[in-house]
Amino acid sequence: MSKILVVDDSSTVRDEVAGFLRKNGLDVDTAVDGRDGLAKLKASPGTKLVISDVNMPNMDGLTMVEKIRGELANSAVNIIMLTTESSPAMKERGKAAGVKGWIVKPFKGEAVLETFKKLAS
Amino acid sequence: MISTQAKDSIERIFYKAAQSRLPREAGDSCEIVTIPQDALDAAPEARVVVLTISSILFRLLLILQFKDDAGTRDYFVKDVADNSFQEIFSEVANLCCGAMNQELLNYFPDLGMSTPYLLSARCVSHLQQLNPGFLASYKLTLNHAAQVTATVCVCAHAPIDFVADLSAVEESSGELELF
Repeated sequence: MSKILVVDDSSTVRDEVAGFLRKNGLDVDTAVDGRDGLAKLKASPGTKLVISDVNMPNMDGLTMVEKIRGELANSAVNIIMLTTESSPAMKERGKAAGVKGWIVKPFKGEAVLETFKKLAS
Repeated sequence: MISTQAKDSIERIFYKAAQSRLPREAGDSCEIVTIPQDALDAAPEARVVVLTISSILFRLLLILQFKDDAGTRDYFVKDVADNSFQEIFSEVANLCCGAMNQELLNYFPDLGMSTPYLLSARCVSHLQQLNPGFLASYKLTLNHAAQVTATVCVCAHAPIDFVADLSAVEESSGELELF
């Protein structure tokens, strides 16, 4: 199973999401903000799925997505935003940047597990 | 500057957000009682989680103080004991404010929400100096065990008048919207 990267500045969310995915047999790494996420993705270019928060210190999630598609020229990795943000404008920015999907927190693992598995395969 | 029906709407939006986001399990109770500002009793060392929702028309502050006792800790910490108490509360507060933000977006499309930050609880007694158009505090009891004090403060920069229709909003949180 290919690696999934969970990016969130909240350790509570990182532990919840990564813990759930690992419990279901998925290979998961974590990052604490967009800058860390970008570095981890550079180090593991085979990562198939990134699940990221939007509002984070140092580098926000959408800037990270823009850099993944631009600087890293990585168009293959699937990116899902997991955030409290739900504004249409924010989603449009995400879509334009190359985000594959959007989840408004709280995280409900069972509802998205099968899709995550497909996106990570 | 904030109409009576807008104040009522803000309060109902807060109630819905608190009752849907603060309980850790679906069946847990969430009792909310309004308390007067002069009844707020914060220990000098107490901390609060503060989030803001900002628009051109107003700034809303949601301030949550989680009681630092065994009942509250046991209720919120549960199986995530590796994380700090404040880190867990910050995320719970983030979810609650996010739910308010989601509702308010139906009436104010230009909203931006902050990340949670920690301040001394003494800041609450200075809120009047912001000249708020809406200021209310609530005592919340979750599952007869955990206690949270919440304050909602709204400073308007222009007249605000809206009626929130909470029944019309579908609960879409947690669902994956694929583009």
